[in-house]
Amino acid sequence: MRMSRINIWALGSSMARLLSPTDKAGFRTAAASYLPLVTLLFCSALLPANAEESAEPSQALRFEGYPNAPTVSVVPRKDELFFYPCDQCHAAMEPNPEIRPLNAMHDSALEHGRGRIWCTSCHDLENRNFLTTLLNELVDIDEAYLVCGGCHANRHKDWSFGAHGKRVANWQGDRTLYSCPHCHNPHSPAIKPRAPKPAPPVRAGLRLELGIEHEKSAIWDSREEHEDQ
Amino acid sequence: MSNGGSNFDKARRNFLRGLGMGTAAVAARPAWGGETFQDAFADFFQKDYRRMSAEEIAAALERIERKAKSRYDVEIDCQNTPPQQGVVYGYAINISRCKGYRDCVHACVKENNLGRDSQMQYIRVLQLDQGDFDLEHSDHYYDPETVPVEGKHYLPVQCMQCDDPPCVKACPVEATWMEPDGIVVVDYDWCIGCRYCMAACPYWARHFNWTVPEIPAEEMNTNTHYLGNRPRPRGVVEKCTFCIHRTRKGQQPACMEACPTGSRIFGNLLDPDSEIRYVLANKQVFRLKEDLGTEPKFWYFSD
Amino acid sequence: MAVIRFIFDGVREMFRGPREYWMWLMALSVVVLFGAWRYSEQLTSGLVVTGMSDQVSWGFYISNFAFLVGIAAAAVLLVIPAYIFDRKDIKDVVLVGEGMAVAAVTMAILFVIVDLGRPDRLWHMIPGIGRFHWPVSLLAWDVLVLSVYFLLNLAIPFYVLYSHYRGKEPNFRLYFPFVVIAMFWAISIHTVTAFLFSANPARPFWHTALLGPRFIASAFASGPALIIITLQIVRKVTSYNISQSVIDLLAIIMTFALQISLFFVGAELFTDFYNEGAHAASIHYLFLGLGGFDSLRAWIWFALALNLIAVVILMIHPLRRKTLTLNIACVLAFIGIWIEKGMGLVIPGFVPTPLGEIFEYSPTGVELSVAAAIWAFGMLIFTLLAKAVIAVEQGKLRYHTKDVKYSL
Repeated sequence: MRMSRINIWALGSSMARLLSPTDKAGFRTAAASYLPLVTLLFCSALLPANAEESAEPSQALRFEGYPNAPTVSVVPRKDELFFYPCDQCHAAMEPNPEIRPLNAMHDSALEHGRGRIWCTSCHDLENRNFLTTLLNELVDIDEAYLVCGGCHANRHKDWSFGAHGKRVANWQGDRTLYSCPHCHNPHSPAIKPRAPKPAPPVRAGLRLELGIEHEKSAIWDSREEHEDQ
Repeated sequence: MSNGGSNFDKARRNFLRGLGMGTAAVAARPAWGGETFQDAFADFFQKDYRRMSAEEIAAALERIERKAKSRYDVEIDCQNTPPQQGVVYGYAINISRCKGYRDCVHACVKENNLGRDSQMQYIRVLQLDQGDFDLEHSDHYYDPETVPVEGKHYLPVQCMQCDDPPCVKACPVEATWMEPDGIVVVDYDWCIGCRYCMAACPYWARHFNWTVPEIPAEEMNTNTHYLGNRPRPRGVVEKCTFCIHRTRKGQQPACMEACPTGSRIFGNLLDPDSEIRYVLANKQVFRLKEDLGTEPKFWYFSD
Repeated sequence: MAVIRFIFDGVREMFRGPREYWMWLMALSVVVLFGAWRYSEQLTSGLVVTGMSDQVSWGFYISNFAFLVGIAAAAVLLVIPAYIFDRKDIKDVVLVGEGMAVAAVTMAILFVIVDLGRPDRLWHMIPGIGRFHWPVSLLAWDVLVLSVYFLLNLAIPFYVLYSHYRGKEPNFRLYFPFVVIAMFWAISIHTVTAFLFSANPARPFWHTALLGPRFIASAFASGPALIIITLQIVRKVTSYNISQSVIDLLAIIMTFALQISLFFVGAELFTDFYNEGAHAASIHYLFLGLGGFDSLRAWIWFALALNLIAVVILMIHPLRRKTLTLNIACVLAFIGIWIEKGMGLVIPGFVPTPLGEIFEYSPTGVELSVAAAIWAFGMLIFTLLAKAVIAVEQGKLRYHTKDVKYSL
């Protein structure tokens, strides 16, 4: 139990007022009116401190992964990023937080979030070598999943436990996972369609006959045709 | 059960190799379908896997390697890695991630030395209309410019490694059975090719070698297992073995490794901390043809 | 030993006969040899020379197998009246019927052997040195019951004929228990064959309790059809006395069996089409085509028409008693059931596949040649056995301690 500064100050100022010289009548009236306040303040000084009062966040509320999640190592990506470290250029450039169309040498169009987010939602404005979370914590580029997980928490949880994403090489033993940007380009995360591999072959000596396309309309599509039934 | 790989077995194998080479030098003219007479004779009288002693299995592995050399001109390594204790494999596919690439299908073909001139593909990916899960409406031969096609979803199907497999019951010579780690295997040197198991399988997971499998020598996977992907003879049934030659050593099956979307999840059902157990506990999973009671160890889910 | 003499005399009798007899044997042999030659193609190249695929993994061979087990089982229709109801007229022909059973079982087993991917590994089935998956595998059951049925139908006639050859009556108490066993065994071979198919929930077309009864009913219609035709041929080409009452009894059995068989077909059609679900896809394919594929449709309706015409003929007493119309009915019913129970049973079980794919099948030249060869071989076996049986039964073959010339 520690006293808050306000309470101490309030207590002190009320005590000071109590002890300051005034006329007898005023003093008595002041003392009478200040008594409940002093009692209240004295009691409140015994209460635990208020969170709003602290300068840095409380330990218990900081995200530290999911309980019981397995230990994983994550495949680093720095070597694959051509423009990393970003400070090479950005140290000399003035940070400009204004949301505007960009014309840069690297990915600058953002097809992610339909306008809900902007570059600095994930990239730290001051220190371009790092990413940033919703709580403005700096995150190393190889730990991008902490940033993605800020909004995509369900996916992040699944990924932590292995129900999403890709594990490297083995199913047994040490778990190494691919980080989110390995598959999802954060500037355009939707996976683009690509050509499929060839269709199955037919046994040597036989030919494939493709039949007629069956009627595949969903029952709601054909409802008008059945109106008369 | 058999075990291969101890020093004694290695010594035995070397001895038999020497012996084989000696007599092979005498009767080395390949005549019996490319084999020496001695090998053909031993092949004919080979016992079934579960009754062979360690020496007999070692000799059988040698013969398989020699046959691969004579037929495909490739040096392969045929092993007999035993199942791991305390492991039963389970598999799950996230069908909302699958985009129908068929990378798994072709990785499997290469990894398992499947014949290129038949329907021999252990995995088949079905294309279904959105809102439809009727397999009879599925398209197996889809070949669009790009996948996924708008308004379609994809369902890869392969051997479910059932816990109550109808194929195992059907076989008249017990050439197929479930190993302790849950994989349903086939002894290709014991199968008589009656194909009753193929009729019994509800998932169309078993396939037949109507002809000698055609495998390009340069694409042969030389890391093989007796019960898995070693080159198979004609006239026998085979199927997905969850890449027994890889998974028993802790590696992912080839289909899982190939999948670029990470739709495939594989692991040990007996390990409560495994990914597969997490999926079963936290996702709405289902299995195909659940009502048939085959207890597949292969689930599907979407999220 | 007399037994050796008996076998020697019997075999000699088989290869003795007039010119027409030898022409018949030669014709059959040509078909057999041609089929054997084509089978060698299959042995060298593998089953790829057939029309089967992973989708339709059983075809013409197994179709014939299923049909022929029924023919083999129908021999019991002579055994029961002969020994249980003690009909003398039937007793005269029961050995011929058992000869037909032997031929039919031989053909059935041959059809399975030619269907195997690795016939060189047949020894894997022998209990002890191989692994015989009995009693779990239905195929193991089938091999067991067919083998024992084959032996029963060889052993019992062998004993009876040998007794007659020695000029004695066989010891009834010795062979009658085996006759009773053979009767039940005949039903069992066909029930087990039906169970082979119906045990598979993976194949909704077969997965019906009605399959066993359907098999028995159609066997008891197609079997007598063949026996009626065969007995008339035997009566014509030999001097063996075959009473018309035998034919009449078989015709009546056939009538009932065909009626029941068609009723079962009707029951299947109703059950599958009234509330048509996914399990009816196969029968839909068979009778109406599916997804643009309908290669079996014409065949099944043709078979149904043949059976219906046959049953109508049989149900009209004067027509059933008239030789010409009876024979027409027999031929129609035989062909109709061969289609319905052969290809009409096996192929739709695989269409569509368990993953919903429709892939059709049609037999190749190799399959047709090998099948024809097996049928010819069966006819050959029957001809040879019947020749010896008739010779013994007519008293032409008897054991003499001295060498005496026989009169033909």
